[in-house]
Amino acid sequence: MSYSFRIFTRPVFVFAAALALTGATQASGVSLPAYEQFTLNNGTRIMLMEKHDVPLVSMHVRVAGGALLDEPGKNGTLALLAELMQKGAGTRDSQAFAEAVDSVGGNLQIGNDRESLQLSAQFMSADAPLMVSLSADALLRPQLRADEFGKVRERAIQSIIGNKDSDPRALIGIYGESWLFRGHPYGQPVDGNETTLAAISLSDLTQMRNRLGGNNTLIAVVGSFKTAAMKKMLQQAFGQWPKAQGAIPEVTAKAVEQGRRVLLIDKPGATQSYFWLGNVGVTRLDPALAAQNVANTVFGGRFTSMINTELRIKSGLSYGASSRISRYRQPGSIAITSFTQTDSTGKALDLALETLDRLHKDGIALDMRNSAVNYVLGQYPPNLETGPALAAKLTELGLYGLGRDDVDGYAERINAVDLNQLKQAIGHYPTRANMAIVIIGDAVKLRETAARFGPLTEMKISDPRYIP
Amino acid sequence: MRMLTTGLLLSSLLISPFVSAQTAQAVPGVDQVRVKTLSNGLKIVVWPDKDIPNVALYNWYKVGSRNEYAGITGISHFFEHMMFNGTSTRAPGEFDRIMEANGGANNAYTSSDVTVYQDWFPRSALETIFDLEGDRMANLSFDPKVIESERGVVYSERRSSIDNDNLGALIEQIDATAFTAHPYHIPTIGWPSDIEAWTIDDLKTFYKTYYAPNNAVMFVVGDVQPDEIFALAEKHIGKIPAQTKPRAITTKEPEQTGERRIEMKRPAQTPLLVFAHHGLRGNDADMPALQLLMSILSEGSASRLQRELVETQQLAVDVGSQVGAGFDPSLVYLYALLPSGGDLVKTESALDALLAKIGKDGVTQAELDKARRQKLAAFWRSMSTISGKAQAMGSYEVFNGDYRKLFEAPASYQRVTTADIQRVAAKLFRRENRTVGFVAQSESK
Repeated sequence: MSYSFRIFTRPVFVFAAALALTGATQASGVSLPAYEQFTLNNGTRIMLMEKHDVPLVSMHVRVAGGALLDEPGKNGTLALLAELMQKGAGTRDSQAFAEAVDSVGGNLQIGNDRESLQLSAQFMSADAPLMVSLSADALLRPQLRADEFGKVRERAIQSIIGNKDSDPRALIGIYGESWLFRGHPYGQPVDGNETTLAAISLSDLTQMRNRLGGNNTLIAVVGSFKTAAMKKMLQQAFGQWPKAQGAIPEVTAKAVEQGRRVLLIDKPGATQSYFWLGNVGVTRLDPALAAQNVANTVFGGRFTSMINTELRIKSGLSYGASSRISRYRQPGSIAITSFTQTDSTGKALDLALETLDRLHKDGIALDMRNSAVNYVLGQYPPNLETGPALAAKLTELGLYGLGRDDVDGYAERINAVDLNQLKQAIGHYPTRANMAIVIIGDAVKLRETAARFGPLTEMKISDPRYIP
Repeated sequence: MRMLTTGLLLSSLLISPFVSAQTAQAVPGVDQVRVKTLSNGLKIVVWPDKDIPNVALYNWYKVGSRNEYAGITGISHFFEHMMFNGTSTRAPGEFDRIMEANGGANNAYTSSDVTVYQDWFPRSALETIFDLEGDRMANLSFDPKVIESERGVVYSERRSSIDNDNLGALIEQIDATAFTAHPYHIPTIGWPSDIEAWTIDDLKTFYKTYYAPNNAVMFVVGDVQPDEIFALAEKHIGKIPAQTKPRAITTKEPEQTGERRIEMKRPAQTPLLVFAHHGLRGNDADMPALQLLMSILSEGSASRLQRELVETQQLAVDVGSQVGAGFDPSLVYLYALLPSGGDLVKTESALDALLAKIGKDGVTQAELDKARRQKLAAFWRSMSTISGKAQAMGSYEVFNGDYRKLFEAPASYQRVTTADIQRVAAKLFRRENRTVGFVAQSESK
């Protein structure tokens, strides 16, 4: 067995890359390499970047809409469609499709987040034509067979149940967002829950597929290929994708939560409890994003952050504590998560709240600002090192209508962050008085402690949903 | 699952990416690699790669839970934590504070065989990083208060990855059962009573024995010049004395002569099944064949396990594998995550039949070709980042004796035939060579 220990710095890395929160280059350092852009007749936007360091080619497709397209009570419809698209497409059945990918050592995945469906593929350069044609088959010509649908849906339900037997760190964020944003689109689980998945039929997926189309699509290809040939290939493969039906739902911002309320999720026999404290935060398009990222680095975005210093380094209460900003078109959450031995749950929660108090009261000092600026700048370049990372970044910029300055100008914006901007950024963090709280653990031992932090609601981890 | 997949990722980097002879020559910049061994025995391998203005520095110590014994289990991993907790010249926490203030980040991992320290930083922080690394190699200090606090951190880590994770807990018991003599039976995180009991003297002895320059290899990949790295290493590490070579681990696990079975009773909404067969050491001549065999069994949606257990018979929700490849023969794990209400008996016999069939009928040439292409693509993926290069070179250096074997792997992979794969399957996948572990679904409350 290989264990991956002291993994605290890992999540910070992944977090920055996955959410594309940061974008920084050394003042003299990297910027997005050159790429060519054009639009197909059906409105699909293409971005091509040649990169010849390794004989691989990477493709990232983003179709606007995401889990926001799911009908109420049928959360997870798009997620099931994404999975089923890989289970038979074009002339290949499920087995033949998988065989076509594996036999050349390729990889191809389709998934989704709140705001888009995403296909990500990487093949050896010589197999680029196969990659393009498999991707087009999956998106444009999925077979959507009933037998495969039954399997995919059952597996999705069982995976959620299995996750509930595993390390709760994988689930705490879903419970947290569901509790904070209950009744709001951002509170709906992207992959659905056991109840909503069971309510979805194959015809829901067929309808969902019509809501995706060429006019809402961005395609980026990065790697070792010839631009002219790739252009032709993509035109042929994707040029005929018809327009999406229906509009992409508009989301209204949720107001910042007032007061405090606690959800306790019973995991019988758990020796440790996991907690999430959050409130409504900021958007992907916020002009103050750079300052917010520096503030989060100081408070909970790296090993020596304020929150990890208190809960791990100084007290040994936890293996790790962090804070995270989730950004969408409308404000997502800003949340703190950590975990500790059941008996010390109250102590750890108190300490987290005290640390938050200190952030609001004392703000961020100049030496800390300087350290965090260096950290953000120093850790950014590896996020744009590979073909898949660059391709994903290009489609992300496209989705949000951002230009290359989002990356190229970032170092300058980070360097310009001043203490006043940091003060503004801190204003978005939850306060002791106003926040939603989620705790997963052994309820018998935690009930009294949890009630100390606000009006208490309880559910079981085996309940087939994420909120009561 | 988290733990196994994490391990899987590591192990796929640790061992044997396939690459054909021609493509190996074509790895850009491989001719730039330079090596130097300091007079105290520290070997340094430098690969300049200026794709991004950053550097990956990986320092491999040849020590892990394999070097432990009853009373101090988990100390290698605990020590990994202590390497960040202060020296005679810097207070606890300064290492991380200085590194992050200079734009760097770090991590580390411990396995049965090795402890690896990883730094990722902008080129501008080079001197600072070598200063920090040299300091903790020479001057580590042990503050009793910090030791107590760090015990709490490690305990918390144990509760998440083992105590609150059914698969993690099951694997720990399987290791402890499959190995009766060899120290691979020790969980890397340590048994709870040992986590509570090791002393400051245990730590001091451990530091002196294993954290010597002659027990480490350093890999530096990124925006650097070899000569500047060698000069920095000489300045900050060159004066740290070599130590007596640590005692060799000579215990060999006796051949297993009958199946062993473990049931764990725990709250579980879904059942789990794990097969663990005794396998090979990392540098075994048959390791390439075993790697290809495991690809055929479980890599990708079209692999045999996925196709048979998940897609066709629908007995499992997910299946996977992990191959240990350390200094000594390790376990080959196959696992199945069952749905709620899933049938453990049927799943076990399906897995049995599938393994027996490979031993009896072998694999097809098409499957072998596919596995080779998967290894080739994986090789190039690992060559596309500075971290991937540092990790891959390090594992070849440590487990195969020479980082250059990373680029020679093709010959050994090319030689593997379908007959070799069948022979390895028949040799390892025997009932009497395995431990079977399972967690049954608990009564719902």
